[in-house]
This record gives sequence, C-alpha cells and structure tokens, in this order.
Amino acid sequence: MRSMLSLSIVSMGSFCSRQQPLNEVDAEENIQAAEIDRRIAQETKAEQHIHKLLLLGAGESGKSTIFKQIRLLFQTGFDEVELKSYASVIHANVYQTIKILYDGAKELAQNDPSSSKYVVCTENKDIGEKLSEIGSKMDYPYLTKEIAKEITTLWNDPAIQETYSHGNKLQVPDCAQYFMENLERFSEATYVPTKEDVLHARVRTTGVVEIQFSPVGESRKSGEVYRLYDVGGQRNERRKWIHLFEGVTSVIFCAAISEYDQLLFEDETKNRMMETKELFEWVLKQSCFEKSSFMLFLNKFDIFEKKIQKVPLNVCEWFKDYQPVGSGRQEVEHAYEFVKKKYEELYFQNSKPDRVDRAFKIYRTTVLDQKLIKKTFKLVDETLRRRNLIEAGLL
Amino acid sequence: MPQYQQHASWKLEGGGQIMDLETAVKDGILGGGGGGGGLLPGKDATLVPVAEKPNLRNMIEELYSEVEDVPSVFICPISLEPMVDPVTLITGQTYERANILKWFSMGHLTCPTTMQELWDDAVTPNRTLCQLINAWFSQRYLQMKKRSENVQGRATELIQTLKKAKGQARVQALKELHKIVVAHAPVNTSVVDFAGVTLLSSLLGPFTSHAVGSEVIAIIVNLTLDSDTKANLMQPAKISLVVDLLNEGTIDTKINCTRLIEMLMWERSFRSEVVSSLSLLVALLRLVKDKRHPNGVAAGLSLLKDIGSHEQVRSLMVSIGAVPQLAELLSNSKWELKFIQPALQILDDLSTIPDGLLALKDCHQIIPTAVRLLMHASEACTHHALSILWAVCKLALDECAFLAVEAGLAAKLLLVLQSGCNPEMKQRAAELLKLCSHNYSPTVFISKCKLTRTMQ
Repeated sequence: MRSMLSLSIVSMGSFCSRQQPLNEVDAEENIQAAEIDRRIAQETKAEQHIHKLLLLGAGESGKSTIFKQIRLLFQTGFDEVELKSYASVIHANVYQTIKILYDGAKELAQNDPSSSKYVVCTENKDIGEKLSEIGSKMDYPYLTKEIAKEITTLWNDPAIQETYSHGNKLQVPDCAQYFMENLERFSEATYVPTKEDVLHARVRTTGVVEIQFSPVGESRKSGEVYRLYDVGGQRNERRKWIHLFEGVTSVIFCAAISEYDQLLFEDETKNRMMETKELFEWVLKQSCFEKSSFMLFLNKFDIFEKKIQKVPLNVCEWFKDYQPVGSGRQEVEHAYEFVKKKYEELYFQNSKPDRVDRAFKIYRTTVLDQKLIKKTFKLVDETLRRRNLIEAGLL
Repeated sequence: MPQYQQHASWKLEGGGQIMDLETAVKDGILGGGGGGGGLLPGKDATLVPVAEKPNLRNMIEELYSEVEDVPSVFICPISLEPMVDPVTLITGQTYERANILKWFSMGHLTCPTTMQELWDDAVTPNRTLCQLINAWFSQRYLQMKKRSENVQGRATELIQTLKKAKGQARVQALKELHKIVVAHAPVNTSVVDFAGVTLLSSLLGPFTSHAVGSEVIAIIVNLTLDSDTKANLMQPAKISLVVDLLNEGTIDTKINCTRLIEMLMWERSFRSEVVSSLSLLVALLRLVKDKRHPNGVAAGLSLLKDIGSHEQVRSLMVSIGAVPQLAELLSNSKWELKFIQPALQILDDLSTIPDGLLALKDCHQIIPTAVRLLMHASEACTHHALSILWAVCKLALDECAFLAVEAGLAAKLLLVLQSGCNPEMKQRAAELLKLCSHNYSPTVFISKCKLTRTMQ
C-alpha cells in the first residue's frame, strides 16, 4: 500500500508542475491514471498469493525467537556480520542478568531478615556491587576474561543460586543459566556468537519487523509464500494499530506456559499467565481477525516440564481448580493437557458462533529447538495449504 | 422357473476351458474326493483325501459372496442353491435330496420341474454330479485361499516398507494398504497382524501430517483392535490428532474418525475425559450441520449420542450450542428416523442438566417440534420427546404449557394414553396432560384435545 501511494504522489507532483493545453492534459491524465490502476491491480494480485502471518503474544513469550528460527530455517540465516553484531547484545544480557540476580538477592534478604540464605558472602559482595553498578549504565564494557571470572564466582555463590531458584518473583530471564554457563566462550577476544547464542539473545522488540519466506518442502513446486510479522509484546496501545493487520491469513499466538508463576515486567503485581489470558481473549474478540486461522503455540514446554515438578499449577489463579495426579512424566502430560483444555475453553468462549468455522489448532513448542520448530512449521504449512484448497472448493 | 444362463463350459483360471470331461478328470483338474461315496482317482492314481479341505457345505458358505458364476446345472431347482447331495428322479431331473423329500412329504408325487406324475418315488444319488460340484467348489476355494494369502503377504510387505519410508513414499504405502484392507476386511479382518497394527498406531502422534494421519485412521477402522491398542490410541496426543483430522479432513476422513472414537468408547478402560474436548464437540456439531453429506450427519449424531450418555460431558455440549442446533435439525421434517432418534436422545440426555434444560426452554422451536414428533416415528422417539416436554413444562409451566397446547400437545398425549406404549410413559403422559390443563377452562381444553386433520 505504501509503495502505491508514493507512486501516485510522485506522478501527481510531477504532473501539477507542467503547463499544457487542456485536452493534452486530459489525455495524459488518463494514461497516468490507467498506469496507476494497472500497477495497483498487479500488486494486489501478487499480494493475494502471499500468506500473511502475525505473531502475537505477551512479552517474552517467544515470538522473536520464532522469528529468528524462521530466518534460520527458510532464509539464508545470519551472516558473519550480523552474528558479530549480536556479541554486544549477549554481553549486555549477561550484565543485565547478573545485576538482576544480585539486586534480587539483596531484596529477598531484606524481606526475610531472619534467614541468611540470600545473603551473599562477604568476599563476593564487592564483585556484586561493582557488577550491579555496571549493569545500571546505558553502555556496557566488553566482557573480558577477568570480568567473566568474577561473574562466575558470583554466580556460584549459594545465595545467588538460591535467588535463581526463586527467580519467579524477580525478572530473571529464562536463559540465565545458558548465559552463565557459557561465559568463558563469550569472553574470548575473538568471540563470534553461534546461531544458538543468537537464538538465546534477548532484545526487546519495538515496532514491527517482517520477513518474507517460502518454505521449500519435498515437492519444491508447492512453495507458498509467507510473510511473517513480529510486533513487540509489551503492553502499549495495541488497540490503535492492531487493525492494520486485518485479514491476515493466520494469527500465531505465542503463550509461554512456563510463566504461570511469574510476574510481568511492566507491572510486577500482575501474574504473567493472567496477562496472556487477557491478551488472548482480547485478540479473539477483534473483528479484524474474524477470518484468520488461529495457531496457538504453547511455548517453553521444556521449562514447564521442569517447573511443574516443583511448583504446582494452582499458584496461578486461572488454574486454581487443577488436581495433580502423581509425579514424573504422567504428571507433566496431565498438567499440559489441563492447560491446553483451559486455552481451548477460552477460545470457544470468546469466539462468536459464526466464527466457529475458523481454523484453530494448538501446538506444543519449545522455540529454541530448531528441529521441533521445523516440524511444527511443516504442520502449520500443511494446514494453511489445505485451508486454501478447501476454500477454493478443490477438496 | 427362472432362466439361468447356460454356461457352455467351465472357465478355468488362465483362460482354459474344460471341454472334455474325461481328459479333465485324467489331468486331475477336477480333483478327487467328495461326499456321496465313490472316489475318483487322483493324478497319480491314488485316492485324494478330503481331510485338508473343509466339507462341501462349509466351502459353499465361505465362497457364497465371492462366486457369481455357479453353473446352472449345479443349482437345485427348488431352493436355487448349489446342491450338496444331488439326487435324480425317474424323470431324469436332479434335486437336492432334502428338498425333494420335503416335497414328497407334503403329499406331492410329481416332478416339480416337468410337472409329470411319478409312478415311482425312488431317488437315485447322482454321484457324477456330486463329484463335479465338489471339484468345482474345491478349485474355487483353493484359489480364494491363495489370493487371501497373497493379500496377507502384500500387507506384511507394506508394513515392512512403512517402518522405514518417509514422506510421499509413506503416504503411498498407506494408500495401497488402505485399498487392500477395504477390499478384504469384510471377509478377513486380520489382514494386518498385531505387529502391523502396533506400527500403524505408532505413526500417529503430535507431528503426524494430515495425509499420513487420515490414511492410517482409514485403515485402522477396518481392523479389529485389541484392548492394548485401543488403550494406546486413547492417549491425549493421539486423540488430539484424531480431533484435528475430524475438523479438517474430507467427509470420509471425518466419518472414519467418528467410527474410530466410537470403537474406543466401547472399550472398558474408556474414561469420559477422552471425549471431553470442546474441539471434538465443535467438530461433531459442524459435521451434523453439513446437510450436503447425510452419512456424515448420521455418523456425527451417532457419536454425539454415545458421548451424551456420559454425564460429565453434557455441560460442555450445552456450552457450545448443541441444543439450538439439534432443535433446528429436528424441526426440518425431511430427516428420517435414523437421524431423528439419536438427536432426540441427545436432547433428552441434555435436559437432565440445568444448563441444558434452560437452553431447551429458550429454544422456541423445540416445543412444537417435540409435540410433532410424539407418536410420529417410533416408540423411542415418543419416549424422548415426551421426556423433554415434561422436563421443560415442569421448569416453566406457564409459557411452555401454553406453547405446547397450542401446538397440539393435548391430542397427542391422548394418543399416547390410548396406545400400546409402556405404562411408565402413559403415566408421564397423564401427568403432563394434567399439568398443562391447569390454565385452561375445561371446555377450552377439551377443544384443544381434538385431533385436527394436520395432526393426523
């Protein structure tokens, strides 16, 4: 749309500045108008064959990671330059993480003066203060070997470990462990981030990013063209811009199911799962998505698996009627099915009867796992292609 | 007598024909053995034992659906069935022994075909014909057995292929297996053995593509499944896949999915959690709504009826709007009994929960429809319709009773009371009649009891 508008403005602009006799002016106007119409028709036709997918979800639900995965799977991936550019991002993440942990330990120690499990031992206090100071600045220094060693020492402090295991009350990112375990590699002078590092790196998305790709499957001919949009997840004036995505083929809604015991970044009184629930309800009610298929990605299953053994689902208000069945694998599956049913219920409660025909599928994902994402996307692709055929009356 | 096509010769596999009986016998084409005494010599002049094959009667039974070209001379003119013990009368006509003796015992002493009077009721066993019938059926039987082995062999081959094949190759193998199973399943449901079924079941999972999933399910519904397999199929991930296929597949796939779920529901280890899935219920309602495919509607109704018998799932069914949709289906009078009965039963089951009852009351079509269906189709339909009306009228007497009576309820109830229905139903009908008559004066009510021409 933007390009077409610019085309007509340019041609209008150049037109107005010419001095010509009236009937010649008319003729030229007609030719230009016809040209514009032709271009519009052509682009509209081309656009119609592109399936637009919109990634939605609360902050840190994994949308951007999916975005990166698609780039890795179906585009040329990240080149050397781009990989290198992520080095500073990763270092920043490291500083941010250790700061959150250290400050968090102090906070927890304050709230619980009788116990000493959150009190960092005296040798490490200085390190902690220094790192906290660094982390609060806008610019981060390069992660040198010495600083990396200091961070490792602080990370190994029992108080910090204890804080980490209670990380749900703080804003500790999910990949904290990954960062801490790879510090040695990160601090090499010649460090170039790997693809996996890039997948773990956290940058808050602002604005909209889009990529166009064509999943090439076994039958190379049937490569559909997809355009994937990623929007930021934090609370802001969603309602103002959401209708710009009217008529997208499919909404991919990401919900991190592991966050049932965590609090929002923007509002530390709000449970993240409740926020996701409200967001999902809101999205379902939007009339601009009346015809779009809904793909729900229940994400971060790997973290969910581990967490469910220690933290019961009922800590989240939405899941308060959950009854555990046991332990181990069975419990994990049972808990997962429960969450899935809750989302299903939510979907049908918020979809008007006339929207019942819209496709709705739930996928269990761990977006950091490339193979899994590839398999999942294959299914998404198949569903959308079948949908197309059904609508064209061919099936 | 019906005219049979006379076969000039018996046709053999490979296009050969038996023109010369003597040569045929010598070549052993018409093998040895058979009942009725006397054995033909086999190929190497030994008497061929009969023990390996089942007796003639059993063979004929097994081959019944497969052979269409039984030579007319083998058929008894009385029963029109192949003869097992042919006997000849003095007129030269041959009949099945039991049949002609029965004819005689009824006092007739004539030859049924020629109508000639018999001066002698002697029956001579026609050994020649007996041998020929035996030989003919034996050959066909052996051919069938061989084909069946071939089929089983091919099926096993395909299962082996499936262990390794991926992508398109897998889909092709499944399609071929599907064809084989459908062609032979009515006769032989063990075309695929236990290991094969286990393999097929293992192909179903969260990442199964639609193409593979729909073929696997199409195959499995034609096989007999044991308890373990069924329990395995009831895992949430597999059920999710079946529900997805039910939502997105072709009409045949959808029907296969409903059949599969029905098969699982009969299993002892079945628990209602398996079917308490909103997606499943929505998919079934969608199936029932699709008037273009009546067999789909029937399949959907049948499964919904089975599901509705589980109390725990009923409120889910109500929450997705099952009541208005079924009421709409029933109000359309073109549907036959096989659709009406399950639909009524479902609504009857749903009326037992408060939400369901409320939904029924709010649905304005249901009362006139239920009244119309009283004494209309079958006793079961009347039972359900009556039960629904009773429940709804008890809930909101004033508004519902009025609607019902205006729709002709009183007359219908009188019919019920006069009919041969069971006493329980009559009791209920009487109560309902009394209940509805409350707001009317006696004379007005009696006028409402008259059967109008439309109701008749």
